[in-house]
Amino acid sequence: MVNLYFEPFIIPFIVGVVVLFSVMWTKFISWISALPQSDRRMMRSGIFSVATVVGALWEAFRECLLHLKIGRVNGRLWYMHTSLAFGWFLLIAFGKAEAILYLKTPVVPIYVDVFFRKYFPFAHVGAFGFIMDALLLFVLSGLVAAVVKRFRPSVYGMRRTTDHTLGDKLALSALWCIFPLRLLAESFNSAIYDSGSFLTGSLGALWALLLPSRSLPYINEVLWWCYSVSLGLFFVSVPISRYLHIFAEIPLIFLRSFKVRASVRATTFTKLQRAACSRCGICIDPCQLSAEGISLDTQSVYLLRDERAKGATLAKADSCLMCGRCQSVCPVGIELDVIRTSVRHDRRKATSSFDYGYLDTVHVPLATSKVGFFSGCMGRLTPSVAASMRAIAIRSGVDIWFIDEAEGICCGRPQRMAGNLDAADRMRERNEELFVESGIDTLVTSCPICLRTFREDYHLNGIRLLHHSQFIAELMEQGRLDVERGAASFAYHDPCELGRGLGIYDEPRVVLGNIGRLEEVARSRDKALCCGGSLAHLGLDMAQRDRIAAGVCAEFEATGADFIVTSCPMCKKSLSRSTETRVIDIAEAVKMAVGVEEA
Amino acid sequence: MAAKRVIVIGGGVAGMQAAVALKKQGVTPMLIERDITLGGKLCRWDRLFPSGTRAGEVVSPLVEAISETGIRTVLCGEVSEIVGDDSRVEVMLTDGSSYEAEAAIIATGFDLFDASLKEEYGYGIYPNVVTSVDLEEMFRSGAVVRADGSEPRSVAILHCVGSRDRQAGCGHCSRVCCITGVKQAIELKQLYPGCNVYNFYMDMRMFGSGYEELYKEAQERYRVNFIRGRISECSGTMDSRVLVKAEDTLAGRPLRLTVDMTVLLVGKQAPASNAKFASELGICVSSDGFFKGADCFDGATLTSRRNIFVAGTATGPKNVGESMNEAVAAAIKAAEYVKGLA
Amino acid sequence: MEKAVADIHKGSSGTVAKKFGFTVKSGRAIDIDAADMSVADEVMARVPSWSLCIGCGGCTATCTAGAFADYNFRRLHLMVRRGEVTGLRGRLSACMLCGKCVLQCPRGVNTRGVIAALMELLPRD
Repeated sequence: MVNLYFEPFIIPFIVGVVVLFSVMWTKFISWISALPQSDRRMMRSGIFSVATVVGALWEAFRECLLHLKIGRVNGRLWYMHTSLAFGWFLLIAFGKAEAILYLKTPVVPIYVDVFFRKYFPFAHVGAFGFIMDALLLFVLSGLVAAVVKRFRPSVYGMRRTTDHTLGDKLALSALWCIFPLRLLAESFNSAIYDSGSFLTGSLGALWALLLPSRSLPYINEVLWWCYSVSLGLFFVSVPISRYLHIFAEIPLIFLRSFKVRASVRATTFTKLQRAACSRCGICIDPCQLSAEGISLDTQSVYLLRDERAKGATLAKADSCLMCGRCQSVCPVGIELDVIRTSVRHDRRKATSSFDYGYLDTVHVPLATSKVGFFSGCMGRLTPSVAASMRAIAIRSGVDIWFIDEAEGICCGRPQRMAGNLDAADRMRERNEELFVESGIDTLVTSCPICLRTFREDYHLNGIRLLHHSQFIAELMEQGRLDVERGAASFAYHDPCELGRGLGIYDEPRVVLGNIGRLEEVARSRDKALCCGGSLAHLGLDMAQRDRIAAGVCAEFEATGADFIVTSCPMCKKSLSRSTETRVIDIAEAVKMAVGVEEA
Repeated sequence: MAAKRVIVIGGGVAGMQAAVALKKQGVTPMLIERDITLGGKLCRWDRLFPSGTRAGEVVSPLVEAISETGIRTVLCGEVSEIVGDDSRVEVMLTDGSSYEAEAAIIATGFDLFDASLKEEYGYGIYPNVVTSVDLEEMFRSGAVVRADGSEPRSVAILHCVGSRDRQAGCGHCSRVCCITGVKQAIELKQLYPGCNVYNFYMDMRMFGSGYEELYKEAQERYRVNFIRGRISECSGTMDSRVLVKAEDTLAGRPLRLTVDMTVLLVGKQAPASNAKFASELGICVSSDGFFKGADCFDGATLTSRRNIFVAGTATGPKNVGESMNEAVAAAIKAAEYVKGLA
Repeated sequence: MEKAVADIHKGSSGTVAKKFGFTVKSGRAIDIDAADMSVADEVMARVPSWSLCIGCGGCTATCTAGAFADYNFRRLHLMVRRGEVTGLRGRLSACMLCGKCVLQCPRGVNTRGVIAALMELLPRD
């Protein structure tokens, strides 16, 4: 007969554990089993790859317990998260070990090791008393850090921290009680039995000194009950609060390592990603809409929060530049822009309908070269880019065919970002036909918005897709475009879609380094700011856009560079309105440097 | 107190007129001009609306009056800083010299909008896209021709380039472009009667005396085409002509037109230095960047500083006549002020 | 005189009387008095910059879709502002949402915002 060690005070704890695990597993299993066929196929092939599983396990250890990605963004925040998560994990692990060693049996009910001191006040297993006290102190220090963060986020270099739901607040209150109660309960135990290590023992001695010894057992009993209730309460509230992330991140890491991805047409993987958001608030500060005070409750954390609770409004989903700055710092690696697009799609699909029957009447003239250049809609408003490309082509002796010189169809990315996926697909299909029929083998575009959707969504039969900065860099590397390094200095602005979107950071810098002095702004590459022009945001008015652009321009002006250089027609338009410094496209800079005459 | 000196900054028509008027009031003016000659922007102009008077006929008498009355004039004097207090003004130039007076009249005028900033119109990209200023210079030189030397047989004139355009950072109306567009359309027709001229406008603001009549003359006598719609883009064609896209908003249909030449009626902008001088002096600029008068009635030439006066296009877009009359008003106010000093 | 008018109205043949008169056929004139401004009011509340339009036609001139389809955004949104909302939904569906009109508008109207709102609010044809 196994000893069950039943005591009434463990009931709240047991109830909590049972509720938590049954609700959580129901959720996770239903989500995973509802994944689309293709995702489940990938899951099945991944799960039998030892390397993938070990890799995922290692990542889960690093990110769920050690929170290394948070560490890279914010050291103080890292301490808070790690001391709570890893500290608690160690408390559980060492508690288990202590109980197993003491009872000399591998089967110990979970509540026995959690309430070990209550069950066995005289137990003394090696250095465990000291270790457990030290771990408790470690966790308590994290708790203090969490309290400080809630009331003074500035201590962590954060302007704002997350606003929480009722469930979050309930769980948070319970969580904040757990460890102080454990400390108190164990210290009263020590007071009664004169045991405990440096922390619980010393505090216990203090209680013994201050309080009448008759009262100690009663207080002790109450405290253990409270400890059990706070644990139970916390566990019950986990599924309805952000703390579900503690568990949701583990399957997320595994599925991601099996190459399962979120889709703009939401799947249950989206729900898992949503549940894995810890609402740490790291995404709030990088958001320029937050920094400029334009909108304070539409950041990714709030979109995911609302979406999980009751479904976010379209207005909230729409209020975002989709610059990707939040996604690049998200410690959980949630595909924030894809999820936002899926919300927009879901909220819009009932009312949005587009009819592009006329697209069949659109034709492009006969290709005059194997290399096609696509200006895109925005590019038609910045004709100096195409004119510069023409001049560069002549200088390098390459033929370029200007595809949309007369007219062109939009690439579809603006519709895609608005969530009108069918409309976007219709444009994509027609463009695919036109590009493939034309017989080009290389498609160069000066518009990162077009390039991103060409690369991510189009099927172009192996046509090479290049940004014009890459094309120019190639011409230089092949020695076809001779340039001399001039005295001009260029500060380069990374367009969101080109940099964070497609990872093209180096080629523009190589090009500019070849023709002059390259200056870097305070925040560049994956930390680059959005120009404010973003097509993803449907609600900004011009004054708000200009406010964002002015902040960006101020950083550029601080470099003292002669030119602000960008490689996106939208950025060029946005920035040039807000600065006295000349804003040019990278192609114009190159054209100036090679000094070619107008073609 | 012996000296009754007033420094006039800016030697365009407003500045010269103010200096001459001050002299007549018995005050000692001094004129500072950053260019090598007096006359300002009008030196680049051919004929003036609505009368067709040569710009030189307005500028020359003023230049003569300045030299005849012996008004001290500093040319090539780029102002670097204006300092002073309620009783004295010191104007410092970039060459290190400085001049002191009891009061100053700011007549620093305007800057022309840089048409290349409206990239979609193709100025600097397509050779047959020119500005209204370029066209005036062609009129002056007598050779109104396309880049290849041929005469234009069709011309599109685009109003509001760098005016009423928040995309270009200038929301204000430059006032004189509408009538300039009418004038230049007529001049083109006078030169080339067979040339088709199309004016693309948002509103025709014919505010001055004789303007509406000139507009009618352009329609009736010269058959200039007025199309209500803003050109969105210009693009070059294979044969170096210019394709313009607009909406004919009165017909309610998009419109395309290929012309031999496009003229951009560039607007008037406040010089960037206005904000700097205003903060040095503690006076105000309006939201459009031009200096702000104490009020828009009797105090139009006064500022929040009692010894600083403003005149001409320094306070906003104006025609030549308005600038010259405002200069006289500023001179009278300034003279009254310095004479009133103990 | 009165008799003469009455005679004309009576007419020897009824058809003449029907064709004559000073009343304007309903459906031709914009009837502001009877107009339903609910869509216009809601769009205006969502996109305040809509009020700034001066009808220059820049949006329509630059329109990517307008180059191929019978789609005139300036006219369409003006009709909404005049309370005429029927039959517009289908035309709006040609829009590609490319954003050129936003960059073109001299008054800084958030045209794409207007389009998104209209997509949601215009009655289905």
